[in-house]
Amino acid sequence: MISIIETNQLILMILSVGLFISTMEYIKKIQIFSSTGLLSWNVMQLRWEKKDQDSFFSPLFKLFNEKGLAVIFGLRCLIILGLLFFPLETTYGWILVGLLGCSLLASSMITFYGSDGSDQMNMLIIITLFLCHFPGIAGSRLATMGLWFIGLQTCLSYTVAGIAKLASAEWRASTAVKDVFSTKTYGSRWAAVLLKKHPGINVFLCWNVMIMETLFPLCLILPFNYALIFIIWGFIFHLLTAIIMGLNSFFWSFMAAYPALFYINHQIQLHLF
Amino acid sequence: MHPPLEPNLYKMAFPTDISVIYESIIASVFALWFLLTIFCQFRYTKFSAYIRHTIDVFGLIPLWTFFAPNPGKSDYHLLYRDKIDEETNGEWEEMDITEERSFWSWCWNPDKRDKKILADVIQSLIASIPQYKTDKGYDLLMFSMPYLIVLHAVSHCQCKTGKAQRQFMLAETSGYLRETAPSVILLSVFHQI
Repeated sequence: MISIIETNQLILMILSVGLFISTMEYIKKIQIFSSTGLLSWNVMQLRWEKKDQDSFFSPLFKLFNEKGLAVIFGLRCLIILGLLFFPLETTYGWILVGLLGCSLLASSMITFYGSDGSDQMNMLIIITLFLCHFPGIAGSRLATMGLWFIGLQTCLSYTVAGIAKLASAEWRASTAVKDVFSTKTYGSRWAAVLLKKHPGINVFLCWNVMIMETLFPLCLILPFNYALIFIIWGFIFHLLTAIIMGLNSFFWSFMAAYPALFYINHQIQLHLF
Repeated sequence: MHPPLEPNLYKMAFPTDISVIYESIIASVFALWFLLTIFCQFRYTKFSAYIRHTIDVFGLIPLWTFFAPNPGKSDYHLLYRDKIDEETNGEWEEMDITEERSFWSWCWNPDKRDKKILADVIQSLIASIPQYKTDKGYDLLMFSMPYLIVLHAVSHCQCKTGKAQRQFMLAETSGYLRETAPSVILLSVFHQI
């Protein structure tokens, strides 16, 4: 069985790959934060009330422009590269994870619009790793607790998504996947045409996603061989959503959580059998 | 006789008071975070709205209802035009946001950010329409944040006519299959830019 230290390090490594790509994508699109961009601070600051303008966070507001955010994103890339040399268990590694968390929290204040579930999963994992590896204080019990938190949040994400789909008439009517795949934003022409020609595939995909997402938490308690079905399904699901829907950042952020699922499953199996 | 434990392993084996207190605090934080995440999945409740809009400034409480209950079956378009004179308007121009994805988008997809921002802004705008309804119509909508974001973005697009009044339109299309006709979500008044 993979050790708790290796599990946490693996989570951090997978997350770092996705975070590096995601940050580079933001750098490529840095003009959205310019004074003429979609997320210009000139407008985004309206989200903060007058009293908030003098709050603890107000010094950060000066960074919310094209140059300031380019610096934040650039530093984030350097921190991620630094994590290649300093494992999470070392003090320097822990500091780097803390800085990474700070940069994510700072940028989240201006990316209120445009951020997605993968960004939230990234923040959730980074903050958890940071809190659970406080040098000199945090022990293996806290590291285990962190893995449980990441694993449970991951299962919750799938189950909520599954139940919300089951509650939706469009998903139950098996039209949702075709409709999503037919958009230019989240679809592909070939996938839309394929699903229009073969409605059976559409029905299969809709119900496959609804059932597997809803039942996903079973991967924690089933014997490993059966739990592996959910893990492999999740891998294929995220790979396909990256290829067909362009949701590349979801692949990395959710794959980063999978070692926690492995760990919890093994722990439960050890206690049960 | 057992060999002496390394300091880190010693701490793992025999937690001190401080580490027990720290563990308790972090356990409480995780429990609270997890419970709030569960409660906030019911997005239309007052509690969820309060947490999301007032407390959660960093977006730490996720909404995990991906593509549900509404699967998101539209592409959104942002168009604008200028007033040439009192009777004539310029041609509609579209902001380059809803473009087809490139082959490499499975691993490198920076364009998803613009699209997601526009989709979020439009959904927020649609959701806020009832709040801004008054006896005089929807005049107050133009003071809402999503409206201002869109207006701000279009007002900085190049002005071909040299005139200073601009109108924008939010529209939706059904993508590749074109199963439904394009429709207008919102047509703004002309704004001085």
